[in-house]
Amino acid sequence: MTPELLVAIIVTVVGASTPILIAALGELIVEKSGVLNLGVEGMMLVGAITAFVIVFVTGNHYLAILLAAAAGVATSLIFGFLTLSLSANQTATGLALTIFGTGFSALAGQGYSARPVTLLGPLFPAEIATHPMWRVLFGYSALVYFALIMVVAVWFFLKRTRAGLILRAVGENDLSAHSIGYSVIGVRYLAVMFGGAMAGIAGACFPLLLTPQWAERMTAGRGWIAVALVVFASWKPFRLLAGAYLFGLVVTMELYAKAGGGPLSAIPSELWAALPYLATVVVLVLISIRRDASTNAPACLGKPFLPAN
Amino acid sequence: MPHRLELTGITKAFPGVLANDNVSFSVKPGEIHALLGENGAGKSTLVKMIYGIMQPDAGSIAWDGEVVTVANPKAARKLGVGMVFQHFSLFEALTVLENIALGMDAKIPSRELEARIRAVMTQYGLLLDPHRTVATLSVGERQRIEIVRALLLDPKLLIMDEPTSVLTPQEVEQLFEVLRKLAAQGCSILYISHKLHEIKALCDTATILRGGKLVDTCDPKQETSRSMAEKMIGAGLKDIVRAEGRALGKPKLVVSRLKTEKAGHFDVPVDDVSFTVKAGEIFGIAGVAGNGQNALLDALSGEIRSDDKDAITIDGYGIGLLDTTGRRKRGLCAVPEERNGHAAVGDFTLSDNSILTARDRLGMVMMGLINSGAAKTYTGKVIADFAVKALGPASTAGSLSGGNLQKYIMGREILQKPSVLVVSQPTWGVDAGAAAAIHQALVDLAAAGSAIVVISQDLDELRALCDTLAVINMGHLSQARPVGDVTIEEIGLLMGGVHGAEAHDAIPA
Amino acid sequence: MQFRLEKRREPSKLMTYLTPVAAVVLTMVVGAVIFSAIGYDGIGAVREIFLTPLTNSFKWQDLGVKAAPLIIIGVGLSIAYRANVWNIGAEGQYVMGGLAATGVALATYTMTGWWILPLMFVAGMLGGAAYAAIPALLKTRLNVNEILTSLMLTYASVQLIYYLVRAPWKDPMGMGFPQTRRFAADALLPNIIPTTIVHAGVPIAIIVALIAWFVMSRSVFGYQMKVVGAAPHAARYGGFSENKTIWLAMLVSGGLAGMAGMLEVAGPFQRMVPGFPTNYGFTAIIVAFLGRLNPLGVIFAGIVMAITFVGGEVAQTTIGLSSSATGVFQAMMLFFLLAGDILIRYRIKRVVPVVEARA
Repeated sequence: MTPELLVAIIVTVVGASTPILIAALGELIVEKSGVLNLGVEGMMLVGAITAFVIVFVTGNHYLAILLAAAAGVATSLIFGFLTLSLSANQTATGLALTIFGTGFSALAGQGYSARPVTLLGPLFPAEIATHPMWRVLFGYSALVYFALIMVVAVWFFLKRTRAGLILRAVGENDLSAHSIGYSVIGVRYLAVMFGGAMAGIAGACFPLLLTPQWAERMTAGRGWIAVALVVFASWKPFRLLAGAYLFGLVVTMELYAKAGGGPLSAIPSELWAALPYLATVVVLVLISIRRDASTNAPACLGKPFLPAN
Repeated sequence: MPHRLELTGITKAFPGVLANDNVSFSVKPGEIHALLGENGAGKSTLVKMIYGIMQPDAGSIAWDGEVVTVANPKAARKLGVGMVFQHFSLFEALTVLENIALGMDAKIPSRELEARIRAVMTQYGLLLDPHRTVATLSVGERQRIEIVRALLLDPKLLIMDEPTSVLTPQEVEQLFEVLRKLAAQGCSILYISHKLHEIKALCDTATILRGGKLVDTCDPKQETSRSMAEKMIGAGLKDIVRAEGRALGKPKLVVSRLKTEKAGHFDVPVDDVSFTVKAGEIFGIAGVAGNGQNALLDALSGEIRSDDKDAITIDGYGIGLLDTTGRRKRGLCAVPEERNGHAAVGDFTLSDNSILTARDRLGMVMMGLINSGAAKTYTGKVIADFAVKALGPASTAGSLSGGNLQKYIMGREILQKPSVLVVSQPTWGVDAGAAAAIHQALVDLAAAGSAIVVISQDLDELRALCDTLAVINMGHLSQARPVGDVTIEEIGLLMGGVHGAEAHDAIPA
Repeated sequence: MQFRLEKRREPSKLMTYLTPVAAVVLTMVVGAVIFSAIGYDGIGAVREIFLTPLTNSFKWQDLGVKAAPLIIIGVGLSIAYRANVWNIGAEGQYVMGGLAATGVALATYTMTGWWILPLMFVAGMLGGAAYAAIPALLKTRLNVNEILTSLMLTYASVQLIYYLVRAPWKDPMGMGFPQTRRFAADALLPNIIPTTIVHAGVPIAIIVALIAWFVMSRSVFGYQMKVVGAAPHAARYGGFSENKTIWLAMLVSGGLAGMAGMLEVAGPFQRMVPGFPTNYGFTAIIVAFLGRLNPLGVIFAGIVMAITFVGGEVAQTTIGLSSSATGVFQAMMLFFLLAGDILIRYRIKRVVPVVEARA
């Protein structure tokens, strides 16, 4: 394997894992507050179509990312209102959100398919990233660095800040947090909105970072994989990073197999395409075999907050 | 000097209930003031208004002579009100330090906070490691966190909501020392309880509530326990009626070397538990919460199955391998502590809840199909015989008050005429009238020849009800003793895990 | 003036039945407003999607054919969701049922006999149940979340179709199209009403729903599903095993999804094609909820959803509205339904504020 190929593989892996990582970081915060939002896939699709349309119309990638985040927040507020203000079932509402995002993005993206846009370029000037070694470090777009910074930021927030402590407390025992005087619903709204913003940005990665066009359901279940990753990482940001890169690797193998050549292409391409999903199942199984895995789960995860008074 | 706290005409209504009706009383600085009343008398609602969790519909709260509005708990803490809840508002997965930090309104660097925590702990003798995770602490230690958290704010009024219900008698004495020390320094204490002897031992003044109304404010040292109890309940106390000189029958339930596996992080399993209950006997199991009572009940009811057939026998027949259905068919019924969600399904009608445990013993199922008529008839009988306040068998279990639901559940099991009945906390949170009815029903069932096991944290209840008493501690059961032969002190020592040489060595095979 | 939610003493039965109807009506009203606001013919869209399929009698047969798989899958899901078993991979189980039936049809291609269809029927149910057994096994043995596993398996099952119709099962006479042969006559569902497309799956769907209703409301099996879903701890106390319930719920819902897959492939499709997964499995989730997890309700909810499907096609041809608008309407309906759920347990009360109200 030549250094160039290795670098190319690393760059592809990092790119493919970025949307999963961003979405999963958002969901991690949401779940730490005690809310299970299964609508990540739907919010990502809304973010993806928003980013695509903005970049198609204005050509401004950063505006596209910003508005994708805003669209993600708006979508997450539907979920927030139903589950937090009206105590609706979180599982069902999350599913509904995904169905909604799929339909809405398809409707909004009608007429945009097969129209190309430009990808978001590398953050650093090309002169820095001439050598292959430097490309591994400096050859990515801003979204990749954003994802990495957010890993550290989420970790720092949860472990080192008072706001993070309050968030964990709300997810751990909502009734106690309420009786001490914290606004459980308020904290959860903020968490859900953060999750929405991150899912929106994760969706924006698809047209801006991976394939420069719009296609219906272009997130292809990555939102669900992000939800699974949070479980896999037992709600720890750095494990999330490792998990996301692992999935990036699986996806990259699929790409190389499809490109043809080498021993990888002996396996039917459909199996490669199914591999990320099957790998998710396998990973969930492996994490369940480790017995302490679930003890890190927030105690109130998925349960509605019903104060006595 | 103005009163520290003065309530005038406090009224609070909930749909269908007047929780507080024109309640007025005052607390002086440095006074230990008891708030006494039955469950449902309105104590908790009153306290929640003082602490800002709820707002009164009418009336005023004055603090140091000035009328104030306590908008939320934060405002209450700012005034100098500290509160220790009955159900701790702690976060099990977080450390002691993190838990206390969450209760502080000001942002204090964790190092400084830790130093202040250690200072308070030393001053009052409340020792704890600030870096331990709460999940690993005992109930008594958890209460210390709550107290430390409240004391860090230098409260001028400390509210204690039923603080001793989870403590051993020795721990109660330690707590009283801390409270007396605080009061001597000028901190007022509002002490909520329904335990009369504690109030007589600790408090300067007692305000008694009944049905949301203030009945009397008195000096508990001038009153007898009985006179206060009558004010609290409103009628002469009814004693349990027992048949005189009854003799116990042959051993009915024999438990030998019963044990369970540790099921989860917070589970306390039982280990090597052996005891015998004779026909007609009421066997009491005392102990502080969280010492294996839940595992013991599950192991007896069949929710946890044993791998030894003879670990549990009824009339000599081994039922250790059977599940709950199999054990019910053999005559063993059980009532767990948690009513809603364990002993009954809140969303189901009472009729459907009867199907839950009575379907096989009373023929409510034919070839896989449910005979809902039979369930309805039986439920109607339970409602009538146990004076359950419900609209009828079609009411949902969740719509009943705690006491009425408990009466229904006890009735559902007792009317099946089980030959062995195991109950946990039969009168927890139940008003005195209902408690007396439940106690009488248990005594009557025993008189008819059933063997009964009562697991309870309420020593007064066990001493009044049982023939024999044993104590569970860390999953181990002490030797059983006739109830007349044991003193409160002995039970207290056993509850705290201090076994006498005699109790320690003699574990029957 | 302010409004406040006040807890009801008993859950409202009236609201249980009223909220689904209100959700449909609200979806039509709000849908018309929103679609008008974003530049479509909103009233036209609602008319075409919700009313035309009912007023145009030529569309009734379409309704029946579309409603049948939705009802069958929706009944299965309503049973599973009652037990709090979140099988959201019905689409994958539907695919596997269709593939299993296709396997039988292709293996018996040169044979004739009345037994072929029943064999396909059984194979379809077994295929769906077997695929649902994977999440059931993982859930009961290792406590792996069934939502994620059943959904991931759905994505994988679609790839399996692609592979089979591209390589081993490809129609040798198909001019390179990735699809199987058209099934032999004895492997095709008969039409039960001549000159229409209404096949045997339509009455089967009604029968399935009626049986399920009887079983759920009268039998110990139904009681078990409901009690495990409502209060697992109480269920254990009552002598019902949670693991057994998860298995039953998964196998029944998977088996019914597989049945629907068989009926679709042997009915409307007549062969396996890459476009076989048509989202029935996902839409049936909405059907189950809209039907209040009650098999009789599922019949009506299935018909309502079929109306939006057929109407979506109508709107596409008559006013050029994308078929994805149907998805938006369906999701909206589920949102309104979930929002309305609160009215079952709470009533809205007008209050005149006395003191500062607290949230």
